[in-house]
Parts: sequence; C-alpha cells; structure tokens
Amino acid sequence: MPALSVSSLSKTYRTGLLRRASVQALNGISLEVDEGAIFGLLGPNGAGKTTLVKILLGLVHPTSGTARLFDRPAGSPAARHRIGFVPENHRFPGFFTATQTLHAYGRLADVPRTERNQRIPQLLKRLNLDGRGDTKVKTFSKGMLQRLGLAQALLNEPDLLFLDEPTGGVDPVGRRAIRDIVLTLQDEGKTIFLNSHLLSEVEKVCTQIAILRDGTLVRQGSVDELTAVERVYDLVATPIPDTLLETSDLPLDPSPDGASVEADLTQYRVRADDRTTLNAVLDRLREADVEIESITPLRKSLEDYFIDVVDSST
Amino acid sequence: MRPLFGLVLITFRELWARKIVLGLFLISSLVLLVVTFALNLDVVEGSLAGIRLFGQEAGPEDMGDDAPPLTLSRVVIAVESVVAGVAYWIGILLALFASASLFPDLQSDGRVELLLSKPIGRLNVLFGHMLGVWSAIGILAVYLLGGVWVIMSLKTGVWNPRFLLSLLLVVGMFAVMYAAVMLMGVWTESTALGLIVSYGLIFVSMVLAAADQIGPTLGPVGSPVFWGLYHTLPNFTEVTQIVSTLAEGEPVSSWYPFLSSLLFGGAAYGVTGYWFVQRDF
Repeated sequence: MPALSVSSLSKTYRTGLLRRASVQALNGISLEVDEGAIFGLLGPNGAGKTTLVKILLGLVHPTSGTARLFDRPAGSPAARHRIGFVPENHRFPGFFTATQTLHAYGRLADVPRTERNQRIPQLLKRLNLDGRGDTKVKTFSKGMLQRLGLAQALLNEPDLLFLDEPTGGVDPVGRRAIRDIVLTLQDEGKTIFLNSHLLSEVEKVCTQIAILRDGTLVRQGSVDELTAVERVYDLVATPIPDTLLETSDLPLDPSPDGASVEADLTQYRVRADDRTTLNAVLDRLREADVEIESITPLRKSLEDYFIDVVDSST
Repeated sequence: MRPLFGLVLITFRELWARKIVLGLFLISSLVLLVVTFALNLDVVEGSLAGIRLFGQEAGPEDMGDDAPPLTLSRVVIAVESVVAGVAYWIGILLALFASASLFPDLQSDGRVELLLSKPIGRLNVLFGHMLGVWSAIGILAVYLLGGVWVIMSLKTGVWNPRFLLSLLLVVGMFAVMYAAVMLMGVWTESTALGLIVSYGLIFVSMVLAAADQIGPTLGPVGSPVFWGLYHTLPNFTEVTQIVSTLAEGEPVSSWYPFLSSLLFGGAAYGVTGYWFVQRDF
C-alpha cells in the first residue's frame, strides 16, 4: 500500500468578485509515494506544489480527482492522525513557551498527556532545544522555530511527514541538523514528503522526486534514474594506451572533468548506445591489459537536470 | 474531544494574553473592590440608615425632594443596574474589540495550516474557537457581575436572583455580535471589517429600538423594509431594557428582542460554518 496516492487530481481556483476568473493550479496529476521513501516535490514558483500539498493535508478542496493517504481520503481526520506537517512559515502563539507549545499542539494532534510528558523532553533534546523548554517562543530564532515546528510535527509519531521548505532561512549548521533528522526518520521507517527549492538538499536526502510545471507532472522517479545521462558512463581505469585510443573506433574519451584520478588511475567517458556496445568496449580494454577500477552511469546534478526539464517544457 | 479541548484552551489563552482583556479584568477587580470596601451601607434592623461612598455621606438628601425613599433593595438594584448596564455596553464593545482579530489570525498563513493538518474537523475547529472566546468572555462576566451580586447580597442580605439572568444576556449578546465578527472574518479575513460591521449593527439597533415610532412613518415600501430589518438584525439596544429589568428584579414582559438576536447569531454562525468548511486555505 503506498503511503500516498493521487489520481487525476485537478484544481482550479476561482478568483475575482464574481468568481468568474479561473486559475488552473493542478491539471490531472497522478502519482504514488511508497512507504519509507523520502519524496521530493520540485517545481518552479507557481507550478502547483503548494496546492498539491494543501490538497493532501485537506487545506484545499480538489476540483476533481482523488488523493489518499494510507488508503484514506486525504484531508479526513482519520488520515491526518498518521501525518505530521511543518508549514513553511508556521507561526506559534508567541506567549507560549516551547514546552507549552508542544503540549498545545500535541493536544490538537490527540496525543494523551502521559505520552506528551514523555515525548516532549525527548523531542526537545533530539532537536537541540533542550534547555529551551521554558523559553517563550517569541524569542526563538528562525532555526529554532523550524526545529520546534518539526518537534510539533513529530509529537504524534506520524508515519508520513510533510515538510514545506524545512531549511528555508536556516543556517548551514541548522540545515545539516534537519537533514540528519530526516535521514534518521527514514531509518525509522517514516515516509517523508519534502517540498523544497533547495535542490542540493533534495539531492542529498530524497529517494524519489517529482517535478511539476504549470500544474502538470512532467517527471517522476528516483533521483539516480532521473539524473543519469542516458548511455554515458564514467570509467576509472589504469591508463589506456594511446595507440588504442587513437587508432581504434572505441567510443571513449578522456574525462572532461580531469583525467587523472589517482597516480595510476585515469578517468574516461564512455558513450555506448546499448549494453552490447558497452561490454564490447570493456572487452577491448581488458584485452589491452587495462584494469578497470569502476564504471558508473554519468549523472547530472539535480539542479542541472531540473533546469533542463523546466526549460525544455517551455 | 482532546483536540477540541486543546483548541478551546489555545483560544482562551490567546484572548487572555491580550492587554485589553487584562485591562477588563483589572477594571472588574477595581469595581469589585469599590463595591466591597468603598460602598458602606449602614443597616439598622434590616433597614437602610445611611450610605457612605469613599467615606462621604450619600443618601436621599442628594436626590431631591421628589425622590422616593431610599431603601436597601433600591440601593442594591441601583448598583446592580449600573454594573449590568456598563458591563453590557462598555464590556461588550471592549470584548468585541479585544477578540475581533482572533478569527482572522486563526485563518492566517502559518497558523491555519498547523491547525487544519491536525486530526480535527473544520467544524470542530470553528466550534472550539467559539467556545474558547465565549468562555473567556463568560468568565470575565461571571467575575464582574457574579462578584457584584455576591458582594451586594452578602452586604445587604437582599438577594436578587433575576440579576444573574442578566449575566446570561451579556454573554449571549456578546456571542451574537461575535457571530458578525466571525462571519466577516471567514468572508474577508479582515479584523477591521468585522469590527465595523458589528459596531454598525449596534448603531443600527439604536434606530431599530424606536421601531414603534419610526416604522409607521415610512410609507408602504419603507415600513415593511424597516420591520424586516427589525426582525432580522440583532436588537442590541432593546436587549438593554431586558438587562435593566432583570437587574431591577422585575419579570421581563417580552424576550423577543433577545430571542430574535439569538436567531441572527445562530444564522450567522451557520453561514460562517458553511463557508469555513467549503473554503480553501
């Protein structure tokens, strides 16, 4: 059972005084997120990411299509029992201390007092907020607020966690801390739905991504699959004799990123149209006594891939 | 129930964190202190022998020759009437001012997402918010009006239980006027508009209170419209008369202004609930 499934989901906002103007925010989106995945939702501004997240949380009603969380209608209280959410710019009442805030929002999440009493100190410690439990929230920095937001989202021990720009405005140390927590949560079997513009962060933690553009899903898959350059490989091997490079028709070039990897190893780039060609290249190299250290599919950075996808869709 | 209770507590705490509510509490405490210590009633064999306010003599001689004799029950009624009238007009206006921004705040970015992502239905969110606001204002009203009633009754031995009904009227009419604030809040998310409309309704009720005099003079079109407004909008000003009657310990001849106001409040809350459930955030 997927943690989250969306089928033919569309949303049209009606605007204006007479609600005659319309904006199509989502256009027939279908996707699934497996349990235990860290899923990254990407897209330029106005692509419909926030609308999709809000529909999944029940904040926005879809115009058509269905969205389900753990096979329950998204937005129903039953579905929300199993989720946690950290909004991008969440605001807690400033007069509460951190502990009071967690008690208040834990109560809203239907967490009994005994469990709150047990979990709140643990969460404060886990999120580097121990010693801050009695501090008023209004004195917190952006990074501390983000971590407190994460703590309130984890208080009900959710199976699915939605994070909307969790590292926005957070310094590198704080970003690292949040990233480590996300990876730990994945180890605990939680599913993470990450909506972020920080592609380097997404690339580091996400196992699956989807790219939205103009309300349409344009790409979906694992980060490795999507960022792999088709049929191009990085080969690290002992130096290939010049005679072989110059005289043969091998689809092989010195790597543009710098040829020498270590003293006795060199990096090459192989372009093979199919698996047979790739294996033929490797056979020829072995015949020439070249020792192969590694061969890996060439990958773009997620940022390059994202820009390519968004540009190609225009 | 736990999430609903949680929302009541958050709303309650949020309202009490406002300085104006703290101010209302302090003013109420001051009134109670004045009634307790500054108002001295000399009672001899169950009759009023003299009144001293802040140590100064006050009594029939200050009220003119035509004034009826000042009895103990009249003093109690006078004090309770003044406090109830002030609580009704000033208290409700200030309470509306203090609470008007709560509902638009609840719906603001960064707040509403936190609330609606919890396992609590939207109607329960609305209900919890209403209960939180009502209970905060209710506690203030009980503190002031209940306190005055207890102190005056203990000091004089004159118990006027009908006065306690005025407490329900104060809280009830606040709830009615807060319905207008919430309706504007869910429609426009504007605190200012909510206040303008609720204060505007109070102003209109002053005109509607003279319905018997104004209605017949408006002609065949104006008159039905005027009476339609009279029966539809909250009769805030007319309810003052009921509060006053109750404070005087007299039976109320007609509860219609209060009941029609409650109907307005119920309808406004109903529409608010429908919009709150239907709208996107």
